[in-house]
Amino acid sequence: MSLTGAALAAAMVLATPAVAEVPRKDGHPDLSGFYNFTRIDEEAPAAKALIAKVPEGAVFMKDGGAYEFPPNEYGGLKPKPDVLAEARKWSPQQELEVQNICKKPSVIYAIQGPFPMEITQGRDMIVMQMEYFDMVRVIFMDGRDHPPADAPHSLLGHSIGHWEGDELVVDTTHLEPATITNNGLNHSEDAHFIERFRLSDDGQTLYSTEYIEDPTNLENTGYRLMAWKKHPGEHIFPYECDPFAYQEDE
Amino acid sequence: MRVIVLALAAMFLMSAGALTAQAHHSFAVHYIPDKEIDVTGVVKDFHFANPHGVIFFDVVGDDGEAVTWKGETNSPNLLKRRGWSNKSLQPGDKITVHGWPARDGKPMLRVGYVKKADGTILRGQSSAEGIKGLD
Repeated sequence: MSLTGAALAAAMVLATPAVAEVPRKDGHPDLSGFYNFTRIDEEAPAAKALIAKVPEGAVFMKDGGAYEFPPNEYGGLKPKPDVLAEARKWSPQQELEVQNICKKPSVIYAIQGPFPMEITQGRDMIVMQMEYFDMVRVIFMDGRDHPPADAPHSLLGHSIGHWEGDELVVDTTHLEPATITNNGLNHSEDAHFIERFRLSDDGQTLYSTEYIEDPTNLENTGYRLMAWKKHPGEHIFPYECDPFAYQEDE
Repeated sequence: MRVIVLALAAMFLMSAGALTAQAHHSFAVHYIPDKEIDVTGVVKDFHFANPHGVIFFDVVGDDGEAVTWKGETNSPNLLKRRGWSNKSLQPGDKITVHGWPARDGKPMLRVGYVKKADGTILRGQSSAEGIKGLD
């Protein structure tokens, strides 16, 4: 090859746009980064791969992101009769009452909202810093099991994770009762939450399915689909909820 | 009171992609998604706090009496990324708020955008959140 030809070939290589791909760390996809909610594409290959693994019979609850179900609609979930009776007492005005405005949800509702999160991935632990209500999740990847059933419960619960191929599977128990759909339907302390996370092939969009089963409060099971776009260089803002935001200053 | 009710274009609804969409704080439960209004007034106070920001602004009616309206915004965290800050609106600012009126008839609306006297536009609710929005 002549000198000119070599220079042209080198220029062509330099001019070829780099193909984004899934970053890897310790032999697994590296999910580390800042992600903000993006439109949910059910037909995206990563989304379809995740949906295919949702346990049979689970209903698809299409309220991922900012969308919320109206009163008396629970996305196909079938509450037990006593739970349904309680849920029907809910009225939209209740959420504007001072004692409810800043009521923190559990991770089941918090992870499906239109807010960013930042993931820091280690070998034995993955940290998910959620902007919504300043919630920070720790997912243990060191092979430990959940604590005994009577261990304290919390809104974040206890999360353990493992890799299945290129998918991160997170299993959460020990959840304190809290809302599922933000319109009166609550899960019990027996709720079991299983998430599967997967990056798109270009590594730019993170998808997850969020499966919930709660034999104490629900007759059936359900799942949500979520999607977040990676935004390098951005960071989480404090949430700092103010229950008096709606009250005019004296 | 200078309230201009705008007919909602079917084409816009189609492009919004969510005819019956609600938002956090149950947007469609509290507000009328099929109706957009402009309300012009003067800022009294501005609470830029989660879960939703609130603009308090006085609107003078035909009878000369001032009524305080509330404009509920998206989460300030979302708006900060669109250029808002807690100083975006100051008492005394003349503004026109475009948005969706409260179902219960109270002087309140969900903020689509705020237009300031100098022409500055502060974008509020966006369809980027997967719900009804103005862009």
